[in-house]
Amino acid sequence: MSDSLERTLFMTDSKDAVDCTMLDRIILRPSDDAQSANMEGETVLLALSTGRYYTLNRVGSVIWEHCTGQNTVRDIHAKLCEDFEVAPEQALDDLIVLVNQLVQEGLLQQEVKKV
Amino acid sequence: MINNERESMTMTVGEKPLWTYPYSIYGMRMRYVTGSPALVAPISELLKHFRRGTIEESAELTVCFRDVQDRTEIPLRLSSSARRLSAGTGRAVGDRRETGLPYEMIQDERRWIADFRDVGVLVMDGSHGRADGYLIKPETLHPNLIEYLFHLASTELFRYRGLYTIHAAALEKHGRGILISGNSGRGKTTSSLSLLRSGYRYLSDDQPLIQDAGTHVDVLPFPTKINVTQATIELFPELANVPDHVPHPGSRKWSFHAEDLYPTSIGERCRPAMVLFPHVVDAHHSHLELLSKRRALELLLPQALLVFDPEVAGREFQVLAKLARQVDCYRLHFGRDIFDLPNLLTPLLEQG
Repeated sequence: MSDSLERTLFMTDSKDAVDCTMLDRIILRPSDDAQSANMEGETVLLALSTGRYYTLNRVGSVIWEHCTGQNTVRDIHAKLCEDFEVAPEQALDDLIVLVNQLVQEGLLQQEVKKV
Repeated sequence: MINNERESMTMTVGEKPLWTYPYSIYGMRMRYVTGSPALVAPISELLKHFRRGTIEESAELTVCFRDVQDRTEIPLRLSSSARRLSAGTGRAVGDRRETGLPYEMIQDERRWIADFRDVGVLVMDGSHGRADGYLIKPETLHPNLIEYLFHLASTELFRYRGLYTIHAAALEKHGRGILISGNSGRGKTTSSLSLLRSGYRYLSDDQPLIQDAGTHVDVLPFPTKINVTQATIELFPELANVPDHVPHPGSRKWSFHAEDLYPTSIGERCRPAMVLFPHVVDAHHSHLELLSKRRALELLLPQALLVFDPEVAGREFQVLAKLARQVDCYRLHFGRDIFDLPNLLTPLLEQG
């Protein structure tokens, strides 16, 4: 599952990183700046403000498609564990890495669900 | 750099008589206005297939090119919110092809300003359907450069109305289209000529238009002169008679109209069935490598998409994705058997 997002080489800024103590409450949605196209299971993303584009592999594409503004990080993790033969810890690690990258690039927004 | 130029671009151009030329580009009424004789012929040549008989006041699009003597005559005022988007030397960088023109791209509210330094300035307002060009001493510019600047300005206006240009050669056979995309020097024109001489119909050498037709994407002809290098001329015997044997300045290319050399007519709007991304290989036989849809879109994006207005760019991105989904995309490993290319492609096109 690693390398879900290609064409990005950067370190995640910790202030934008997903708070791993709140995975049940953090909801993810595409930012208004992002355009996406699913191409037979792989996804091409375009950041409109920069013109940069990115590619998600099949696992990354499943993650992206569940970032609808409805699902929490925990929901998406559960979906990954259902769909792929992967250890839950590994799935969570890879999910957090990709989400942090997408947030950092301005393609994904996170918000905290009210309880 | 923007601040330094503001003061020098506030004078107005003296009043000169203006000529207006009407065109119709796939249902869009466009008028070209100019006051300079040097700016008439290149545009008339570029748009010769789109001429219209009568001038209508209700044209949706207006492109106005004026001649100025130097930069101080360019009547451009930038607002305090103007910002530089990009700049370049004109050299090929990464996915960007070489233009030989240093430039600076500026956004000023809803206007996009392309500053080509000693050549002139384009001011494009796509939401209002208007582009103005101020060309410095245009009588000293090569006609192909004037065509290039006009094409840049007008295609930016087209994008706001759902017509997008793509850097590709385009041909048609029996109502099915082939796009041959990629940067210069990869065999695009050579493969295009190989198909033309076998009876394919001509759509464009370098800049066809694409449009979302609902269920699919169409390719529309934008037939301009075909540019060839001396090496290409030596490959095709019929090119020894190229009538307009005048090279472009600096580019060492020659140009001719397809219909002057090949018996095929200009093709019609059609549905693309195949996109090729050629590159020349040192082998006798050419062969095709099927590409994934994702890879095809990745390769198409730098040949088409320039992100100026995010809303327009978002729509264009989706049309390109739709195009990539509907066609078969191949990497063409283009060998020395250039005249056999139709035998390789036509069966695939007909069965697709």
